[in-house]
Amino acid sequence: MNQKTLFSACIVAISLMACKQDFLEIKPLVGASEANFFLNAADAEASIIACYNPLQQEVTNLQGFGQLAPHFRWYFGDIVSDDSFKGGSGDGDEPELLLFENFQGNSTSKLILAEWQAAYRGIAYCNLSINRIPEIDMDPTDKARYIGEAAFLRALWYFNLVTMFGDVPLVLDNLAPSEYQQERSPASVIWAQIELDLEVARQGLPNRSGMSVSQIGRVTRGAATSLLAKAHAYQSEWQACYDMANEVMASGEYFLDPNYSNIFTESGENGPGSIWEIQYMNASGGNWGNQLEGTFTNVFTRARGQFGGYGFNIPEQNFVDEFEANDPRLTATVFQEGDAMGDRGVFSLDATGMPHPYYTKKYFINAGDEAPFGDPNPNGYSNDRMIRYADVILFKAEAAYHLGIEDEAKAAVRMVRDRARGGAEQQFPGVLPNTAVNFATGEALLEMIYHERRVELGLEGHRFFDIVRQGRAATLLGEDGFTSGTHEVFPIPEAEITLSGGLITQNNGY
Amino acid sequence: MKKLLLAFGLIATCLVTAFSQGRSVTGVVTSADENSGIPGVTVVEKGTQNATFTDIDGRYTLSVASDNAVLTFSFIGYVNQDKVVGSEASIDVTLIPDIESLDEAIVMGYGNQKRSKISGAVGTISTKEITSLPVLRTEQALQGRAAGVQVTQNSGQPGSTQSIRIRGTGSLNNAEPLFVVDGIPSGGIDYLNPSDIESISILKDAASAAIYGARGGNGVVLITTKSGSKNQKAQITYESYYGIQEPWKYMALLNAEEYAILMNESRSAGGLTPLAALSNPTALGEGFDWQDEIFERAPMMNHSFSFTNGTAKSSTAIGGSYFTQDGIIGGEKGRFERYTFRVNTRQEAGEKFRTGQNVNFTYLDRSALAENNEFATPVGRALNMDPTTAARRPDGSFAYSEFIDSDIANPANQIALTNDQWVTNRFVGSTFGEYDILSNLKFRSTMSVDLSLGSQTIFNPTYDLGIGPNDPNRPAYEWRETNSLVRGENKWSTWQWENTLDYTKEFQNGDDIQVTAGYSALRSHYTNFYGSRDSLVSNEVEYAYLNNSLNSAEQAPSANGGVSESSFVAQFMRINYSLGNAWSFSGTVRRDGSSRFGANNRYGVFPSLSAAYNLTELPWVAEKDWIDFLKLRGSWGQNGNADGIGNFDYTSLVYNGLNYTFGPDQQQVNGAGPVNTSNPDLKWETVVQTNFGLDADLYKGKLNIVLDYFVKSTNDMLAVVPLPGIVGFSPSATNVASAKNSGVELALNHRNQVGDWNYSIGGNIAFIKNEVTGLGEGGQPISTGNVFGAGDFVSYTEIGMPIAYFYGFETDGIFQTDAEADAYRVYVDQEFVRIQPDAQAGDVRFVDQNGDGVVDGDDKVQIGNPHPDFTYGLNMEVKHKGFDLSLFLQGSHGNDLYNGVFRYDLNTTNLPVSALERWTGEGTSDIHPRISHSDPNQNNRVSDRFIEDGSYMRVKNLQLGYTLPASVLEQMKISKFRVYVAASNLFTFTNYSGLDPEIGSRGTLEIGIDRGFYPSARSFMAGVNITF
Repeated sequence: MNQKTLFSACIVAISLMACKQDFLEIKPLVGASEANFFLNAADAEASIIACYNPLQQEVTNLQGFGQLAPHFRWYFGDIVSDDSFKGGSGDGDEPELLLFENFQGNSTSKLILAEWQAAYRGIAYCNLSINRIPEIDMDPTDKARYIGEAAFLRALWYFNLVTMFGDVPLVLDNLAPSEYQQERSPASVIWAQIELDLEVARQGLPNRSGMSVSQIGRVTRGAATSLLAKAHAYQSEWQACYDMANEVMASGEYFLDPNYSNIFTESGENGPGSIWEIQYMNASGGNWGNQLEGTFTNVFTRARGQFGGYGFNIPEQNFVDEFEANDPRLTATVFQEGDAMGDRGVFSLDATGMPHPYYTKKYFINAGDEAPFGDPNPNGYSNDRMIRYADVILFKAEAAYHLGIEDEAKAAVRMVRDRARGGAEQQFPGVLPNTAVNFATGEALLEMIYHERRVELGLEGHRFFDIVRQGRAATLLGEDGFTSGTHEVFPIPEAEITLSGGLITQNNGY
Repeated sequence: MKKLLLAFGLIATCLVTAFSQGRSVTGVVTSADENSGIPGVTVVEKGTQNATFTDIDGRYTLSVASDNAVLTFSFIGYVNQDKVVGSEASIDVTLIPDIESLDEAIVMGYGNQKRSKISGAVGTISTKEITSLPVLRTEQALQGRAAGVQVTQNSGQPGSTQSIRIRGTGSLNNAEPLFVVDGIPSGGIDYLNPSDIESISILKDAASAAIYGARGGNGVVLITTKSGSKNQKAQITYESYYGIQEPWKYMALLNAEEYAILMNESRSAGGLTPLAALSNPTALGEGFDWQDEIFERAPMMNHSFSFTNGTAKSSTAIGGSYFTQDGIIGGEKGRFERYTFRVNTRQEAGEKFRTGQNVNFTYLDRSALAENNEFATPVGRALNMDPTTAARRPDGSFAYSEFIDSDIANPANQIALTNDQWVTNRFVGSTFGEYDILSNLKFRSTMSVDLSLGSQTIFNPTYDLGIGPNDPNRPAYEWRETNSLVRGENKWSTWQWENTLDYTKEFQNGDDIQVTAGYSALRSHYTNFYGSRDSLVSNEVEYAYLNNSLNSAEQAPSANGGVSESSFVAQFMRINYSLGNAWSFSGTVRRDGSSRFGANNRYGVFPSLSAAYNLTELPWVAEKDWIDFLKLRGSWGQNGNADGIGNFDYTSLVYNGLNYTFGPDQQQVNGAGPVNTSNPDLKWETVVQTNFGLDADLYKGKLNIVLDYFVKSTNDMLAVVPLPGIVGFSPSATNVASAKNSGVELALNHRNQVGDWNYSIGGNIAFIKNEVTGLGEGGQPISTGNVFGAGDFVSYTEIGMPIAYFYGFETDGIFQTDAEADAYRVYVDQEFVRIQPDAQAGDVRFVDQNGDGVVDGDDKVQIGNPHPDFTYGLNMEVKHKGFDLSLFLQGSHGNDLYNGVFRYDLNTTNLPVSALERWTGEGTSDIHPRISHSDPNQNNRVSDRFIEDGSYMRVKNLQLGYTLPASVLEQMKISKFRVYVAASNLFTFTNYSGLDPEIGSRGTLEIGIDRGFYPSARSFMAGVNITF
């Protein structure tokens, strides 16, 4: 029938029009895709910068959960320790942190999930660079350096993981969907990988003195060596720790800033005693959604009320009492009532609206130095002093002590104390005399090393992990609820156990 | 038209008068909705050949045999009416329009279908319903009008969008229906002038929406604009109204004295001494009313004209309108202005060719204040601001609060400082040609374009609420020392080309077939360009141009821009087959492809089938004379939801923003890398829906019933489900989740006439149950809805529960004594442990659901459901002579709201008056805990304490109108003149304590959370409609 034929013909014609496939092939017009990346040296450089980028994500957007969660180093390093209390507007402000402070934290906490995710996110970028840069045709020195930087950062993330969680999955490649579920590797395997990566980094990285000023903030050989010393200290491998710390000290790359109180000022950033810092800038217009330029530490640790902060990380009396009389480091570390808080006014309880007598000072910034507009709160410029020369010197002291070289241990402690009082000379009577150090031996000397570490590096996020590795946590934190055999590490995030299909197991006691 | 009818009527009158005998009856037949005479109405003496027609004014004269005679008045589109003559010499009749006319053609997408033959579930809203109430936005016309269509405002601010859910929330992503205006898929319909709309069809079930394939999953709203009709005399209509809006409710808050008392108590409980400034509460008195400060009476106005004309070969409709509405907060800072201009034309060329054009231009100018969050909105700030601080100091300058800082800054100052404006120029146009290949085979080709240019300006001036320069006590948000400007230009463009063939044939045995087949191609393109500068020379918004920056002081100039594109192609076919008058069948299949889908799933096929049976064909039904029409419907179909998918979601883009800074100069260095995992399997969400329905017309058109039952399952739902953290990159959306909505919808309409009184009552109600049925591997629940006052998330989406239900702690009263708090213990590992070790007398007792001795995340349970048990609308109308009175109610029942208005995390904010009933000693309260600065027990954590019943019934509209009688208008050459007064949101019945219970969603996964919601206004207006 004529009509039918015509009708069918039309249908066929319409169907044919649809066969033009490329109408649906639209290339993303902005942004390369995975396929056309890692082609040249510029791509390699950009991929390395992307490895640094997660360092700044101290308030992490939890992947797949759509929530922001902070994971500052001082959350677990200081607040969980005997150095500070949580603070905030009250117990309901970051309640999970209060639970961890009281050793009641559990595996559902978003804070530990944030730690876990932040670390593996950083590792994913490092893995991508480490595995893809070798195939790029480029200058071999630059190539070794890039790979060294990624290896250092990967080691740093695994260091965070192994000290936080103990055994964790070891991921050295970017995963295909079939590989998403992995078991934990023993901590010893993680430590071995950290040492291996840091060796790679030491081979490929330049010395600090070999870098241009504009590059400051990038990882150096000295940073890798220092982190390796630290890694050995955490495993009580004292000879190796001693060797590495000595190498840093012998390098001539670093010296202690003569003025302790200068270290945490803006001009003290990346100073002579700075081995490596996470860099933050005073970004304008930053806010909670755009958090990758400034640090939140400034606002989080500043007093509330007129000081415009959130009042976290409140120094404990016990910590303040640790300072010897007239130790000038106390006033550089802690604000006490009646102190001027920079240009923000004088610290009184009424002005803060809170009952706390102390606030942390190291990451305090003046109102006049804040970014001029945008959300005034979240952006601070203070670099996070990750590895300081004093830290390495005190590792050497600890290592030398354990190796029985007490003289070297004492000399190291003296270096730190000399600087604290502003020079080797005994300028004022009673200000940090070295006499006690000179005569101490055995346990007493070790206690002095521990004391020096606590006051020198106070509120910089080291304390909890230090006392755990030193085996002193149960003694010092037992009253707060610390239980040996459990609280040396934190619980594995419940979500990760679920998502691993049960392959990942929970830590003992959680 | 009238002339033709008149001529016909006159001839007929001549013919029938030949048979006339006995006495004569005269009268006027008028229309119930127009209040004007209807020409050409057939008037028959029942059971005889004796008949006549009304003249142009609706008058008739007929001789009848006796007083027992019964006259039947009938006219197409109106319900027949019988009248016993009796002794009356004059019988006036008002005919009621038959709104549910069985022959009415319903717009179904790519064609129309007679109402009697429809086998799917389709709701319709007529032009009369739209224009009878002055709706400000087209979406509002849908509210309460069709069963199963839930419309809630996302904000009461002028120009804000509404969220529309057809048959429940069918997606975790984009749950909005597809809007198709004159065949053009439109993102947003705020550009339409409601007066331009001819009809709205809502395709609710999958079978009806299947013709829109991968985009019809959330239902389809088809809007047809007025295009005039042939042989229509020229007509000009002018409509206008003016109204005043005002807030209808203030929240009951503490006054200054009460605030001071509670703050002192709070500080004491927290171990602090009371503040000196608050030490004498009685001296503070009432204090300042911040709500009164920010709210105001605001005007709104509408002018709209239209012109329609039709000749034998063409028709034209031209419409223009101006609408302006100020906000009840901020006035002109929240103003929405809309200018529209539309020309729709139709032409015939020869016998076989027709063409038509729709051209629409809209100019939108919207200024907006921040809304609906707990950080920086005038509402949130006004509710939280302490009542001891006045907005201004005696010298007129804005003041800051000594007691609250952080996000709670002076809202009056904020309003004055806000300059956030969108100006949109939108052009939407289409042209089609239609050719009759054969008498029953038509080809139609339509080309359409939607171009939208949007300019955004945000200017943040400098300000300082400090007392003198550099006042160290001013809170961080109360000063800004550098001004900044953002200017953006956006361009959206979409073109679509569609070709369809339409074949119809009636068979000799009474069957008929209608086949529609077509091809559609669509491409969308978006570009933007944004620039920002700071340190502008002038602090006035009128000089806010990027060039006006002082370069030397500038901190962060920036420019950025982007581009994105997507395409769709589709082939589709629909066959409607009728077996006589009894059965009708419809089958649809559409194949959709899109650039948004991953390489492994480029095309999807969406089939549907439906059938209807006309029970009136059965003898035992037909003989019931109270049943006019009775139809059973059943349908099944599949369609998709592709509108929640981003253009390049399937791939892992290398993102150029993973920057880091080096060196003392803090130079930013560009870093690049992937952010998400890629997903080449990405595809549409699949919606499968089964529907059973019944349509009944009873009692000679007086009662109309539509009843539907549906089960709608959404599978392959896109969800960003967490990946193991070890993957490192962010998960991309995958098609893993599923949900089910099922429900019953009922619509009833009754119309009648008693004497001179015409009335109608229409109601609709829908009961919909929502359940998440899958969330991918492991079924990890999704937490959303972070409420700052609680410091936690309040919405939870998990398998077996409704989407985004409220999740938190169950409370069990207040500890009356310390001993009671201490005794709240449970045995765990042989130890009798305190469940709330930090609790004391006056604190909230939380239920330790799992009995592990700790109240933690594992003890959270369902504390509320944001989804209503049912939603309803009720419309009543009475007409008498020239007067008309209408009442429209709309409501929602059984839904909960989370009251997250107050910033308990900030300690010193103002509080609701209920805080006065706090616990102050044993036996004082078992509901409201003590007030404590430190709150060691976290009394304000997410719990059932903040869940409130969100049910409401709202008098959406009450209107009284008067239409001048035709006799008066005739001399003025006006065919219709109506004036009215109306009130919107006149009464709201609710137990909710917040400013407005009608709270929409923020995204799909945050429903019914009040963060200081911008309430809708109550408004009073007066208007006029004139037709020449």
